Amino acid sequence: MAERYDVVIVGAGPAGLAAAIYASRARLKTLVLDESVPGGQMKTTHKVSNYPGFPEDVKGADLAKAFAMQAERFGARIRRAVEITGHDLSGKTKWLELDEEEKVEAPAVIVATGAKPRELGVPGESRFRGRGISYCATCDGAYFDGKEIHVIGGGNSAVEESLFLTQFARKVTIVHQFDHFQAEPVSAREALESPKIEVIWDSEPRAFLGENQLERVRIENVKTKEVRELATDGVFVFVGYAPRTDLLKGVVPFNSWGYVETGEDMSTGVPGLYVAGDIRSKRFRQITTAVADGTIAALAVQKYVKEHG
Amino acid sequence: MSEHVKEIGEPEYETEVVAASRQQPVVLDFYSTDCPPCEALAPKFESVAELFAGRARFVKIFRQGSRELASRLGVTGSPTLVFFKDGKEVGERMSGEEIKKTALKAQVEALLS
Repeated sequence: MAERYDVVIVGAGPAGLAAAIYASRARLKTLVLDESVPGGQMKTTHKVSNYPGFPEDVKGADLAKAFAMQAERFGARIRRAVEITGHDLSGKTKWLELDEEEKVEAPAVIVATGAKPRELGVPGESRFRGRGISYCATCDGAYFDGKEIHVIGGGNSAVEESLFLTQFARKVTIVHQFDHFQAEPVSAREALESPKIEVIWDSEPRAFLGENQLERVRIENVKTKEVRELATDGVFVFVGYAPRTDLLKGVVPFNSWGYVETGEDMSTGVPGLYVAGDIRSKRFRQITTAVADGTIAALAVQKYVKEHG
Repeated sequence: MSEHVKEIGEPEYETEVVAASRQQPVVLDFYSTDCPPCEALAPKFESVAELFAGRARFVKIFRQGSRELASRLGVTGSPTLVFFKDGKEVGERMSGEEIKKTALKAQVEALLS
């Protein structure tokens, strides 16, 4: 027998939790599911400086906890570390199977599964994952105390996490494919001025090499075509994000970049199915825009549930 | 801490992991503080440990307290799961946020067969 909710929200990042706050305050019986702990990408961001309401920097993990506590305060139930092992999101009543052992159902589902760090797709990357290659600075930075490491990327994450990594590493070398950072000017300048950070411009990684452990990264200068190998103790990869759309395969169409198109109210072509946050096709992906999406989706769901629930 | 997962320190590695894996497979979890993916793995690890109680051993070790062992095994990320059987490491390691309970279950099943 499936437990019934008014709305099931998949993904406990800022979009999903904002939706949960609005839905639970509207007295909808609300369930939030996450494969991990709440927070989405926020929880592994070492500091957040641009979320309104926090005049000082806030740790991403603390902001994540605050979002979750606020949603739970109004009665939303958040299930952590739960795996969705089966689902039907197309019908009037939508159901999800959890951990191969139980089912939940609801007339409305908001998919806010976000995006995950993009992999480079370079030879050696999967072999050395956890053996020198990492995608999470807060998790793994301390492994590189006094070491010389490389960061791949030049956007906000790459630059800000490089600054964070200088707490541990003796030297951080950023390898970036362009001749300037895409990061916000404040962090970009801080990185360029840091005595511990060096930048190799116009270069991309081509291979990760080593015996049992990552030892070297082969890079190519995209302008001169010069190829060289750099000795390294570890590499952190921050080259953007890829949408997590597994749950929606065959349910809604994706655009050519893999994201989901929605109406202004976050609706999809499937009645009762909404998407919010980074998984959506849109120009800007920020915590603030995810929160806005989640809010809108929850308000649209309230109306939908009233009419069809 | 669940009764099915044993926390060890570096000095117990040889007995609790290497030697113990001659009796039954051992899954060793390196975890860290300030590591949300580790927090996320913990309940999955415990529930799989419970499922295999008596057939496989599940052990966790705090990486910050086991630097030398982590570096000897070449573990550079948390969480990392390392699998042992017959006194040596076997199978693919699992690491990061994407460790699924079903995948962990499948790998332990494979070690038992």
